[in-house]
Amino acid sequence: MERGYWIRSKPVYTSLLWHEKATSHLVVAQGQGGMAVLKLFQLMHPKQAITVLYMPHAEADYSKTLVKVVPEGLQLLETEQEVLTKLDSVLQGMCMGMRLYIAGSEDFIWSVAKVANKFGIEDVGMMKELTGTLARPIYCVHCKATTHAVTTNIVKCRGCGRMLFVRDHFSRQLGAYMGLMIDAESPGELPDIEEIYP
Amino acid sequence: MALAFKQETFRNDYKYSNSPSAIKRFPFPFAEDQYMYSVNIEPHVKGKQGTVCEFPFDVDEHYVAECLDKQITLDLDRGRYAVLPHMMDAQWDFVELTMEALSNDYPEHFSLKKDGLNWTWENKPLNIKQSFVFGDASTMPMDPFEFMSRQVQGDFVLLDQRDETLYADGGFVTSQADWSLAFNVGMSWREWHAPVPRATELGVMDRALKYLLNLQLGSPVRRLNWTMTVNPRLDTSPENYPLWGTERNTVNPENVADKVHLRVELQSLFRLPRSNAIVFSIRCYLMSLKELSSYPRWAKRLHRVQKTMHPDLIEYKGMTKFHPMMVEWLSKFDDGSAMDVGTQPE
Repeated sequence: MERGYWIRSKPVYTSLLWHEKATSHLVVAQGQGGMAVLKLFQLMHPKQAITVLYMPHAEADYSKTLVKVVPEGLQLLETEQEVLTKLDSVLQGMCMGMRLYIAGSEDFIWSVAKVANKFGIEDVGMMKELTGTLARPIYCVHCKATTHAVTTNIVKCRGCGRMLFVRDHFSRQLGAYMGLMIDAESPGELPDIEEIYP
Repeated sequence: MALAFKQETFRNDYKYSNSPSAIKRFPFPFAEDQYMYSVNIEPHVKGKQGTVCEFPFDVDEHYVAECLDKQITLDLDRGRYAVLPHMMDAQWDFVELTMEALSNDYPEHFSLKKDGLNWTWENKPLNIKQSFVFGDASTMPMDPFEFMSRQVQGDFVLLDQRDETLYADGGFVTSQADWSLAFNVGMSWREWHAPVPRATELGVMDRALKYLLNLQLGSPVRRLNWTMTVNPRLDTSPENYPLWGTERNTVNPENVADKVHLRVELQSLFRLPRSNAIVFSIRCYLMSLKELSSYPRWAKRLHRVQKTMHPDLIEYKGMTKFHPMMVEWLSKFDDGSAMDVGTQPE
């Protein structure tokens, strides 16, 4: 890759850190993201009300430790859909000054962000930590379907079956990177498919 | 002067051409022998009679055909129109701006009658007559922004200003040079310019943003942008790249002058009064190399510009496949003698 290469639409993820002046804290995590939550509690047990929604994943389950560490408001959920439904109901009761923390895969982070957007929480108001995997959600610019958990440079669209080149250009509204048909000008001619987002 | 609107197509059989007067007024963008991005923004002031900048929104011989092409593209993909809910004031600002400009500048084709908030708009070339209450979207057959975007040549993006940047929070985009509204809607200035090579390093985007954040009501600005397109196709969207990408393979040394078109965007930006948003108008002009070469000065200039083009830009603008053929064809117009600065055809 060329030196200096940087696509500015690519989200910047950081380590989760408490906002000390928040009025309440809402932490949403998946799989390996549980470690990010534990790290938060290593730093501090905030004075304000805390809600933690955690969904274990096949590769990582920190439920047992979280139950011991999180003093209140921990809810363990089994599927992403359960997390999002729960999140929706929790956000309905939240007040100004609440801070949102998200940790998990990019698919997970942006699914959570989409629910939060509905409540007027803007992108800059959410703290996000990418954990466990670099796998990407890919939006097919041709058929508009999103293919989840893509780990390769090229992927077959689950909507239209086209072979898509996985770009670095990212849309926060869609919560996905752009996928563009790779062999439109020379049908069938594909570069090697390689895992580059393990 | 009444315009004679031509019957044309921008897809399939590509029945499109420029009359001699349309060629002469074409907004040729190259004043010098070399091209690199710059913040080439200037006030969008009234230009000389007959030029594309005579009025805020230029209506030309392709008007009816282009509006029809917009409708075809939108019917095939509703995602070409998108607007976020908080942009309603900006929608009405756009209606006011475009209706007033067109009715004022082209009274033989468009009229606007106001009785307080009760407005009647008439568009004769497209045979549209609509009475409505200004500010009341329920009196319009569709979103106000969509209604007028369908009736003005070019693409339109509504930019909301907050957090010291501009967000693309609405758009009607059917003639774009390979960018997706559905993907970009809601993006900040930095995000949507992210893929443009070299521009970030040059600081061009940051400087342009700074300028636009201070754009004043009543003082619109403009700039020209350009690319080369195979066939006179308005809808060169990423959505339909599988359709038009293959057309790049059809260029050969015999047809290069007919197939390859200079595509110039007259981009203009207007501050809007109620919303404090900005409307970004992107008007596309297409001219084949053959048409362009009716003014040898332009062909000579384009030869030099293309011959010295940065490889990143050749790639970014999608010219890789036909670039050598184009340069070869244009070379016969270049005797190597020095040229004065300027975009004039003769």
